[in-house]
Amino acid sequence: MIFHPAIIALYMSSLLMGLMILYAASYGVRIQRLWDITSGSDLQLILERRTYLISTILTYVFAFELISFFLYIYTADHLHTLFVGAMCAAGTLKVNGYGYPALILKMVNFMAAGLWLIMNYADNQGYDYPLIKKKYLLLLVVTPLVLAEVFLQTKYFLLLHPNIITSCCGTLFSATNKTLTGDIAALPPVPMEFAFYMILTANAAAGICFYLKNRGGYLLGGLSFAQFIISIMAILSFISPYFYELPTHHCPFCILQREYGYIGYPLYAALFGSAVSGMGVGMLMPFQNIKSLAETVPSFQKRLALVSVILTIAFMGIVTYQILFTDFILQS
Amino acid sequence: MINLINVRKVFNAGKPNEFSAIRGINLKIIPRNVTVFMGPSGSGKTTLLSLIGCMARPTAGRIYLMEKELTSLPERFLTEVRRKTFGFIFQQFNLVKGISVLENVMLPAYPVGEPRTSLEQRALDLLDLLNIGEKAGTKIEWISGGQAQRVAVARALINNPAVIIADEPTAHLDTKLSLELVNILGRLKEDGKTVLIASHDPLVCRSEIVDHVIQCRDGKIDGQEL
Repeated sequence: MIFHPAIIALYMSSLLMGLMILYAASYGVRIQRLWDITSGSDLQLILERRTYLISTILTYVFAFELISFFLYIYTADHLHTLFVGAMCAAGTLKVNGYGYPALILKMVNFMAAGLWLIMNYADNQGYDYPLIKKKYLLLLVVTPLVLAEVFLQTKYFLLLHPNIITSCCGTLFSATNKTLTGDIAALPPVPMEFAFYMILTANAAAGICFYLKNRGGYLLGGLSFAQFIISIMAILSFISPYFYELPTHHCPFCILQREYGYIGYPLYAALFGSAVSGMGVGMLMPFQNIKSLAETVPSFQKRLALVSVILTIAFMGIVTYQILFTDFILQS
Repeated sequence: MINLINVRKVFNAGKPNEFSAIRGINLKIIPRNVTVFMGPSGSGKTTLLSLIGCMARPTAGRIYLMEKELTSLPERFLTEVRRKTFGFIFQQFNLVKGISVLENVMLPAYPVGEPRTSLEQRALDLLDLLNIGEKAGTKIEWISGGQAQRVAVARALINNPAVIIADEPTAHLDTKLSLELVNILGRLKEDGKTVLIASHDPLVCRSEIVDHVIQCRDGKIDGQEL
């Protein structure tokens, strides 16, 4: 293990997160089994009061989960000089077999944490704990994922030794590679650009429609998810080459470096934020008709839709600016 | 209508000094009436009023205000209920020293965000109604016990609550001032307020304004008189 401040911070905080989420999940199980709002029993009143503590703990855990995703990538990028062959985070994550699985779980948990925070906020607007069981059911689904992330990240850091020879991003994300990332990088740029702009435009339009007319929430949720997937593919396929002005370089991590003005951070923050807020609108649709949420959830969804639209436009703006204001032209 | 169902309150539960202040009370309080909770010291009167007034939560049981269940409400909703529904007159009055009579009366209404001019006018009207308008600008520490009592009543009324809760309001008053307070509470009843009083003062309990006397002992209801 390398004793770097960021690694120690991530390592310790993930262990702490694991413990806190286990504690919260144990109450989640009790709530699933014993919650009865019609009862005035000692146990029910204790559970009602304890939900405030659990909710606060989880808010901090999941807020850190959101931040730790970026800290993990930053750490991997920052440490690439220690490993022979690594040019950016791509190489650092390839040092052992746990780096990429941990990253993928962090992406999944970023989404899950965002959605849980949205559901928790909506639940807190109701006076009768309207989403309590659903919220804790989601927690019980997320808990194994967070624990798996803690395990993988811990293994990754523990097996991280300096001077290991690793691969560079040029090899890992080469269009000639017969891997999933290689196949995505090899996708023809023009059809990908078309698909990219179509999905972003459709998502922004759905967001504006929901904001103005309170209609199409499920569509917005679905499009936000589709936008996320297509955008990740687009970054590998044509967006990153535009930033590097090099048709063969498809690395999604080098854009996080200083040479590219750290543009990767706002780019990914806008993409992930847009996905979470858009999917959050869809997730809350079934709860619009709950009596105690009827007034608050639609206005909360409107705010989420607005955030989703703003972040989608910001994401599109960053990409389009680079495509328009560079001499580099990528053609099929 | 305030409805209590099997309400219990245990302090320091599970510890050696555990104490059951309320032991399974079922009660219906009739609106627009004066109800007095009577009983010796330690019988649970004050605890019961704190539970009804949402200043404390029961250990078990449910309390309903009209159709709304109060005990499960998250604190941010409870604050709203407490502010809009209940006005409190405390045994020691609990007026804030260092500020004026008028500011003391206006204090519970500040979180509502009402424009200051209209709030000030309402506070002055209340002080006039209780014949203490001329003391509006006087600091609390300079007024007499009887005047402090009326300021406490005015403060309890500033948010126009439906229920007035008075905990031993005559404990520190002489007979004249006690009768004056009983008259004020009688007027509030006529105005349609529900008045809940915890007292063992016979002057209050036997007053003709009282509709309902509930006798408390050892955290239970020992008897009721209508």
